Amino acid sequence: MLSEGRRTEEVTPGNRLSGRLATPDIRDEFGLETLDMNMGPQHPAMHGLLRLILELDGETVVRCDPVMGYLHRSKEKISENRMYPAVIPITDRIDYMNNMAMEYGYCLAVEKLLDVELPPRADALRALMNEFSRIMSHIPSIGFLMLELGAFTPILYAFRERERIQGIMEAVTGARMMFHYIRIGGVKADLPEGMPEKMWKYIEGLEQRFDNDFVDLIEGNEIFRARTRGVGKIAPEKAVEMGLTGVPLRCTGVEFDVRKHYPYGWYKNLDFDVVTDDAGDVEASYRCRIGEIRQSIRMIKQILENLPEGEVMGDTGRRLRPKEGDGIGRVESARGEYAVHVVSDGSDTPYRVHYRTPCMVNMQLLTEIVPGHYLPDIMAIMGLIDPVSGAWDK
Amino acid sequence: MSLDILNQEPFRFLLSFGAILFLVLNLAAVFTMAERKVSAYIHLRFGPNRVGPRGLLQPAADVFKLFSKENLAPSRADIWVFLAAPIAMFLPAALVWLVVPFAPNAVIADLNVAIVFFIAMTSIGALGLIMAGYGSRSNFSLLGALRGAAQMISYEVPLILSLLGVIMLSGSLSLVDVVNAQAGGFWHWYFLPQLPMFVVFYIAGLAEARRVPFDLPEGESEIVGGFMVEYSGMTWGLIQAAEFASMGLISAITVTLFFGGWQPPFEFLDLGNFNWVWFGFKTALLVFTFQWVRWSVPRLRMDQLMDLGWKILVPACLIWLFVTAGAMLLFPSVF
Repeated sequence: MLSEGRRTEEVTPGNRLSGRLATPDIRDEFGLETLDMNMGPQHPAMHGLLRLILELDGETVVRCDPVMGYLHRSKEKISENRMYPAVIPITDRIDYMNNMAMEYGYCLAVEKLLDVELPPRADALRALMNEFSRIMSHIPSIGFLMLELGAFTPILYAFRERERIQGIMEAVTGARMMFHYIRIGGVKADLPEGMPEKMWKYIEGLEQRFDNDFVDLIEGNEIFRARTRGVGKIAPEKAVEMGLTGVPLRCTGVEFDVRKHYPYGWYKNLDFDVVTDDAGDVEASYRCRIGEIRQSIRMIKQILENLPEGEVMGDTGRRLRPKEGDGIGRVESARGEYAVHVVSDGSDTPYRVHYRTPCMVNMQLLTEIVPGHYLPDIMAIMGLIDPVSGAWDK
Repeated sequence: MSLDILNQEPFRFLLSFGAILFLVLNLAAVFTMAERKVSAYIHLRFGPNRVGPRGLLQPAADVFKLFSKENLAPSRADIWVFLAAPIAMFLPAALVWLVVPFAPNAVIADLNVAIVFFIAMTSIGALGLIMAGYGSRSNFSLLGALRGAAQMISYEVPLILSLLGVIMLSGSLSLVDVVNAQAGGFWHWYFLPQLPMFVVFYIAGLAEARRVPFDLPEGESEIVGGFMVEYSGMTWGLIQAAEFASMGLISAITVTLFFGGWQPPFEFLDLGNFNWVWFGFKTALLVFTFQWVRWSVPRLRMDQLMDLGWKILVPACLIWLFVTAGAMLLFPSVF
């Protein structure tokens, strides 16, 4: 698992602080040694189960090797042994912070194999719940970033908002986290009576509380700026080269959003901006997340204003036997582009399912960006990537 | 007649030391409770409210739990250093209370070098931290101890420099004299002429007490507790008690030096021997600001911490030192 090639005395050039590292010959001359440190997998700031093998020169990180796999649950193999609709609850547990997008991607892929027409209301509800799910994931992300920088309060404000959205989700889907709401051919249920008004009221309240509780508390803080500005700086070319998606890509200034550039479902009818930032550092990623929450609020308002009437489930037949072939469903999850590749052999279970989770790809940043930064910056960069353990290990 | 014996030397010393230990340990318990309640209200939570009336017995339950836990030590630890470290951290924080004047006639030892004693004792506190980090023999502890050593030695400099203005104005190193020099209403308190020094002292005091934003030795999110990551049970409890005691101590010293100690804000509010109420009130207020800061801001990074200490606080102190000295030379009648 460890790449032996990099275990040399060669100092990986950091992007910002490389001049401050002791070069190998200086280390030899003074008999200096670097400190090997093992961080995780049980570590409060590791977003789940991630192990980092660090080589430290004082406070400066010389080498950072992430070791993944501590939360591997064989999602892809399990998916091969279940009937098509029964895979959806499995996908729920991949990115457990943004479950709705996980279901959406899988259902899109299977619907490509089936000839099923979706009622417009189902499409609109999918987009609506997806945007709620995105807010539900982005707000705690900001809270976690602050928690890792050492401020404990924002996370509790964040979870208050998440809790309220969970209340809405529970009323609509019947579950607080593992929704199993988006089904192949539609959604599980229509909105309960009076729910659109409740959602509208919540969204308007959120806009206000958001400015008061988060933006004022966090953005104006000098220490927050000092800790995040210029930390984890990624060049746009590098970001594209590494295949980053989502906020880590957009915060470098590259405009890419699956919802905009490869629109699916109801997103074709929505008017929204792709939020980008030029700085490409942790502060920029924070600003991007704030902007995306505002865009999500905007989208939810649009959907609620023209919510089409009608059925919420298309006609898929009783037993799903998609034709032979394969289908890909691409969606923009809260962490980046999430794609599901489903291969069918004509039976009622998938032949092969592959989940392309953004966390796994974005995690490359750790080896590339971290060397040269100080030890506490790792936590800030983790806040930039905002990975979820379930999503990188599957 | 029979009580006179208590006023004689060995008994007086033992009694007063017992009283100080009692005070400091109880302060630690009260501050734990205050910390949890203040943080709870900032977080829009309730905080502990189950043990006793309004949760007030929570610290007692905590201490009982800590005493009933096993003291684990890593097998590779340097066991004597490991066990001595909490004591080395706690004792200095407790001892400085001996020279703090609580009320007009209530000071245990009116040392004529009380301020020097305070500086010496806070420096020894850093030693305990290094012992804890080194004795645990864990990478996380070691990093925490190195950070702690660098931080506490660096912030000793602005801390001492910011004291000098007060020493110059009062002309004495005794805390009793400093308090007496500030008599006669709040406009005589030193925080007004020494405002920059007070701000520096407050910030350096936060760093000495290892409170957020200067809790780098603890570094909750990256080194998970730092120097005290290996401690458990009452050894951990003693480290916590030392932290809370030093927070109270920094507040008490700040009050003594810059806010007139036990002096009432207006002369007609003089309570005589009960002036310790003023002292307690001001100290509690400062402790509250410590907690307010603790739950509002993120942590600094090591290089930013050093920049703040050496590039901002020390020059600011030196400048104001010269301003004070110049003013005292030019207008001797005012001082």
